[in-house]
Amino acid sequence: MFFLHNLERRVTLHPSYFGRNMHDLVTTKLVKDVEGTCAGDYYIIAIMDTFDVSEGRILPGSGLAEFTVGYRAVVWRPFKGEVVDAIAYSVNPHGFFAQAGPLRLFVSSHLMPDEIQYDANATPPQFTNNADMVIEPGTHVRVKIIGLRTEVGEMWAIGSINGDFLGCLQA
Amino acid sequence: MSKTIRLGSRPPYPITVVKLFKKPGDVIKSQEPLMQYSFKWTKEVGDNIRKETWNEEQTTYVSWNSPADGDLKQWLIKEGEVIPRDGPCMVIKEACSHEIQFQGLCAICGKDMTEVNWAAETRDTDRAPISMVHDQTNLTVSTVQAQRTENELQRRLLESRKLSLVVDLDQTIIHACIDPTVGEWQKDPDNPNHDSVKDVKSFQLDDGGPRGAARGCWYYIKMRPGLERFLRRISELYELHVYTMGTRAYAQSVAHIVDPDQKLFGNRVISRDENGNMFSKSLQRLFPVSTNMVVIIDDRADVWPRNRPNLIKVSPYDFFKGIGDINSSFLPRRRDLLPSAAADGAAVNGNGVPPKVNKAAVTEKPSALDELASIAGADDPAITQRQVEEQERTLEKQIKDRPLQLLQEQLDKEEEEAEKATTKSEDGSDTPPSSPPHHRHQVLRDGDTELQYLEQHLTRLHKAYYDEYDRKRASHRASSNVDLSSVPDVGRMLEGLKSKALRGTKVVLTGIVPMGVEIAHVDVGQQLVGFGAGIVTKIGHDVSHLVVNSLRPRTKKVQQAARIPSIRIVNQDWLAACFSQWRIVEEGPYLFDVHPDDRPAEGDATISDADETDDAVKDSDKPPSTPVRGGQILRIKAPAPRLKLVSASGETKELDDEDSDDEDDDDGDMEDVEDEDVLPDDINDGQLSPIDGLKTFNWGQVDDELQEFLASGSDDDDDDDDGDEDADTMDTDADETSPSSRKRKFEGGESEDAGDGTDAETAQDENTALSNGIGTRDGASVAKKLRRTKSLRGTSSLRNQYVSDVDGDADGDSSLLTPQVTGDEEEVSLIKGGLTPSLVEAEASATEADLDATDLEAEFEAELMAEFEAAAGGEANGNDGEKG
Repeated sequence: MFFLHNLERRVTLHPSYFGRNMHDLVTTKLVKDVEGTCAGDYYIIAIMDTFDVSEGRILPGSGLAEFTVGYRAVVWRPFKGEVVDAIAYSVNPHGFFAQAGPLRLFVSSHLMPDEIQYDANATPPQFTNNADMVIEPGTHVRVKIIGLRTEVGEMWAIGSINGDFLGCLQA
Repeated sequence: MSKTIRLGSRPPYPITVVKLFKKPGDVIKSQEPLMQYSFKWTKEVGDNIRKETWNEEQTTYVSWNSPADGDLKQWLIKEGEVIPRDGPCMVIKEACSHEIQFQGLCAICGKDMTEVNWAAETRDTDRAPISMVHDQTNLTVSTVQAQRTENELQRRLLESRKLSLVVDLDQTIIHACIDPTVGEWQKDPDNPNHDSVKDVKSFQLDDGGPRGAARGCWYYIKMRPGLERFLRRISELYELHVYTMGTRAYAQSVAHIVDPDQKLFGNRVISRDENGNMFSKSLQRLFPVSTNMVVIIDDRADVWPRNRPNLIKVSPYDFFKGIGDINSSFLPRRRDLLPSAAADGAAVNGNGVPPKVNKAAVTEKPSALDELASIAGADDPAITQRQVEEQERTLEKQIKDRPLQLLQEQLDKEEEEAEKATTKSEDGSDTPPSSPPHHRHQVLRDGDTELQYLEQHLTRLHKAYYDEYDRKRASHRASSNVDLSSVPDVGRMLEGLKSKALRGTKVVLTGIVPMGVEIAHVDVGQQLVGFGAGIVTKIGHDVSHLVVNSLRPRTKKVQQAARIPSIRIVNQDWLAACFSQWRIVEEGPYLFDVHPDDRPAEGDATISDADETDDAVKDSDKPPSTPVRGGQILRIKAPAPRLKLVSASGETKELDDEDSDDEDDDDGDMEDVEDEDVLPDDINDGQLSPIDGLKTFNWGQVDDELQEFLASGSDDDDDDDDGDEDADTMDTDADETSPSSRKRKFEGGESEDAGDGTDAETAQDENTALSNGIGTRDGASVAKKLRRTKSLRGTSSLRNQYVSDVDGDADGDSSLLTPQVTGDEEEVSLIKGGLTPSLVEAEASATEADLDATDLEAEFEAELMAEFEAAAGGEANGNDGEKG
């Protein structure tokens, strides 16, 4: 699920950048540092605006200036039970891997409808019900997240396509 | 799925079950109290200070918590029961057995497996320890699931009557390099290498590739000749997997070149990124349960320590000369290289510098890595880092040094010189544009035929496998057409097929295995054994082939073997050809040209010195009794060293060596270990080594004899400045004066009668004696010879030493071995060949006699008598010949 989230971050600036456009530099640095990262259990998708750049403080010892920046960002937090669209990228006999934006999902063969079977003889190997559903690398799939785990800077999820309206997306 | 839960090791047994909180049918959650138990223990109570303490038994009540989720099906314990030790307590139906896990998540129920469950004794992540997917390492499965998947795979393969084939990339089906020279040659149609490289494919890697100068470089991929056809045909019989030590991106790119539409390999590509081990490959990574249906083709056997039986070793494909395997820094140092004779030739020409530099870069440093790897675990990131750096260095070096260009330039230069020598008109041929391309030779040649043979082998193996499977299935009378229980082990079948390949050969290697290395531990040795060949360390009559390293052409063994006509002396390419063709390859093209000095028949050099071995072979093919005309001459070559000795020290002393031999026998011979290393224990052939056991020799006596002899004014035409002790001693031996030896002769002859017969020697000795003795002297010499043969029935270790020592010094003092041979002996032999058929026959029968041992001694004597007569007949002629 996507949220607009108010966040705060300390940005340091090298003395050589001190000058009139310091605030721009701070903003740029913030965007560069933060956008597209995984912060705990959500991803920071995009920074909307930086509304509060504090006055800089020189850090004793290094001479770097530290700014505390309050900003608003679009974040995406996947939830258990959430349905996401993803693209399959690897298929093996145990299931397939898919990627929903930055999130890597694994959908095991246990969490597929019974009629979907692994077909190793196809090129490339695929999951298929021998009708309209063919899941191979590149297929768009709609997946329900049933498990999530996060580590610093990373997130993984277990998905399921066992349910109504889940599975292959007819694009 | 129901699962029996044990109490675990934590309760302080014996315990008493007090109360069961749950009853069968209840849903239980992990870490929830399921029952209460009590246990008794003693505690010291009272006043510790006044020493008024006593032990009191205490009873403590503890609740036992569920280690797992699920439905309780049955209690295996009752309230009030005393449980003495750990055992099963209940049966539950687990909600999820967490058989597939992805990065710490159960892929079936979505639970986080890394959560610590204090009630359970094992972690949930341990339930799925096996990683068996090609392109991911973070997906793990349980043993049960692995078994299931693999059965599924086998069923599918059996249905389509296929096997699995794991294919290595580098130097097995392709050869890669990053030398930019290749790209330039491709663009330049005038370049002599243009034809070779024009079908070389290339790609660029920018992600995860090497950094530094090699970043973004082009990889040039040359496919092994016939690869497309090979893969197409083999893929009908095998399901193909790629297993490489390159990076994932590299593997994918190469797979894309080899198999653009993913028909052959599909997604079954595994690279070092997923391998989980930086130094070795393992089939268990892909087939954790059973490798019964998996075959490997790889150019390196040492990276498959656990899967040798399933491996078909392919000769490395080396198209870009001197480049090697660009991913080799990730593998243990290569020890199995069998340098080809052609390549050696190039190296000798002076082209060897760049490859050597390159090889050194590749091979030397990883040796330190090897050690590191053996100390630390293979997954150590520091090692990985070092390997990566190592590879980067190698690659950068390749880009900078351009070994191919160097090679070509050198070749051009050589050719230019050669040309200048012949025609003066052509000049400047080393500058590519100005020179006409037709006379420039190319560095890169593409004459590899390995895949043809490989295809044959794989087809044969496939057929044998399914024949066996059908046979087994028929005996099982399986109803379905797939019967997993009758799946044969392809590894065993492969071994069976291979072991027939060289059966019956007995091979001696020389100059191939480094000193001090056990041959059975070397790849060549293991392969030889695998192909059913017998490996012998010493030259003997039962040896069928001697494989010579053409870089070290003059070893002891060569000289020894050159004396035994039945041994085919071949270069190492023969071995390679046998390994790749799985049969005893026709030796013709591989016959090794023995150095003239190492040949046994120096004296006959004028008669045939072109291909000694050829003659020897021919000779051995003929039955010994037939060659009276042409072959006879050749036969006499075998005992020629004796002739040398004789001629060196004068005719009259031809028996000296035997005499000293006798002396040795008296001393007790075969004491030195070196001797036994080099030579067979039972010398039952013409190993004419007169200086065996010299270490136990009475040198003072010999010196005296020598002095005596020199004083007697004999013409000593031996070379003496070889500076080698052994050779000198041999010399001395040869020069041993006759008087004393004659003195000793009789004792020797008589004392040795009881010696265990080695009749081959006797036969050879006869040869010698006949060829020189007859011509020079009359019946007396034959009589001496008789004595000598008797004496020789004892182990004539002295002679053996002679051979071995001479061989060792072959390079330094070959001149010593070729004392000026006069035409006399030659003529003698000719004459003998022409005139004394009876003699030859005697010889022949003597040779036969060596098959049966001592019991034929009597026969021998009879034969010798026959010779005696024959000699008497030919005596006049012999004398004439000598004088002439």
